[in-house]
Amino acid sequence: MREQWAETLMGFLVLALAAGFLVYSLTVGGVGGKPGGYDVTAKFGQVGSLAPGAAVSVAGVKVGAVSQITLDPKTYLAVAKLTLDPDVKLPSDSTAKITSDSLLGGVHVAIAPGGAADDIKPGGEIDNTQGAVDLFGLIGSVMRPQGDAAAAPTAGAAPAANPAATAPDSY
Amino acid sequence: MAAADAALPAMFKPVRAIGRSTLGALRMVGGVGMFALRGVISVFSPPWFPIQLLRQLVAIGFFSLPVVGLTAIFTGAALGLNIYTGGGRFNAEQVMPQIVALGITRELGPVLAALMLAGRVSAAIAAEIGAMRATEQIDAMRTLSTDPFRYLVAPRLLAATLVLPLLTLVADIIGVAGGWLVAVRILDFNSTIYVRNTMNFIQGWDVGSGLIKAAVFGFIVALMGCYHGYNAKGGARGVGRATTHAVVSSAILIFASDYFLTTLFTHA
Repeated sequence: MREQWAETLMGFLVLALAAGFLVYSLTVGGVGGKPGGYDVTAKFGQVGSLAPGAAVSVAGVKVGAVSQITLDPKTYLAVAKLTLDPDVKLPSDSTAKITSDSLLGGVHVAIAPGGAADDIKPGGEIDNTQGAVDLFGLIGSVMRPQGDAAAAPTAGAAPAANPAATAPDSY
Repeated sequence: MAAADAALPAMFKPVRAIGRSTLGALRMVGGVGMFALRGVISVFSPPWFPIQLLRQLVAIGFFSLPVVGLTAIFTGAALGLNIYTGGGRFNAEQVMPQIVALGITRELGPVLAALMLAGRVSAAIAAEIGAMRATEQIDAMRTLSTDPFRYLVAPRLLAATLVLPLLTLVADIIGVAGGWLVAVRILDFNSTIYVRNTMNFIQGWDVGSGLIKAAVFGFIVALMGCYHGYNAKGGARGVGRATTHAVVSSAILIFASDYFLTTLFTHA
């Protein structure tokens, strides 16, 4: 019976560990930032792989998260709703820019603060934006300046194996 | 018949041996099938024994948590290290969270939980029922007009089938936590980004297909334990043989059905 107690305790311990990690994952990886933040919107021409939950940073320090991404049906611009830390007041001429965490990792929104005297109000909009850069499109336009790069937009490794670039899909 | 046997030349002996073992194997497959069918029928038909079911749920499910948790955390950690090494060959160390999550939820979570259950539960069931068979308790039960299928087999089948998906869910979470621990503590990943990459990447079906697998595995584990225990012959040695057979056959069936279920899921 004593052994059963130990096993029972271990069982609860395992459950508690799992629950703890799950809660941590949901709070960190889940949608939305801290409660009590304020929302601003930013319109981008291209959000790339930006998704709800991505970080919003100023000078590399996380100040909020992307809470929602929708498409404006009239202008065809992507509207990102950013939930920001209430302590962080952004000047009204700040610039929001979508940048990569790394070459393959996710993307986040970096905000470069401006110099204006007035701040963006909750519910306001960041007017100056710079959308995501299509990295492979960029690579393609460097590799094949002639312009038929659209044929193989993802063949990143192809040139090393096949410098003549006659066969775009050299898999 | 005996006369005909004697009349056959000795050269037919190997042929007869092959035939005998083939028929024996077929009979065993049929026997397991019949046993499973009787088990399923007795799960769905009264009288039920809720106390027995509850006891089995605790014995099979709750008391397997430590074993499953330990297996999952070490597997997740080792998987993480290996994928980090492998990913490094493509300069793609950053995809580690996604691959660890996929590997754990789709494959390793259900299979490892099922294997631990095969070792822990299948053997225990076979030993328990086998000992009852050896001491003629099962016959006694029948004379007292209690159906051993409904009293012994059905609660175990149902409990294992219900509980293994839950154990797998725990194994999934702890396995990912194992990978996360290695990534954050040893490989200098950012904890937040690791978790977020995992959460964004994982889809419901990754976990769901693993849970369906787990239910099938749970049924297999309990079925093998019950079958080999119920058909144990020859006292203590028979019980020992039954436990070995139960573990080995449930492990093999888990791997085999894992492949077929995965094929089914990827083509569905």
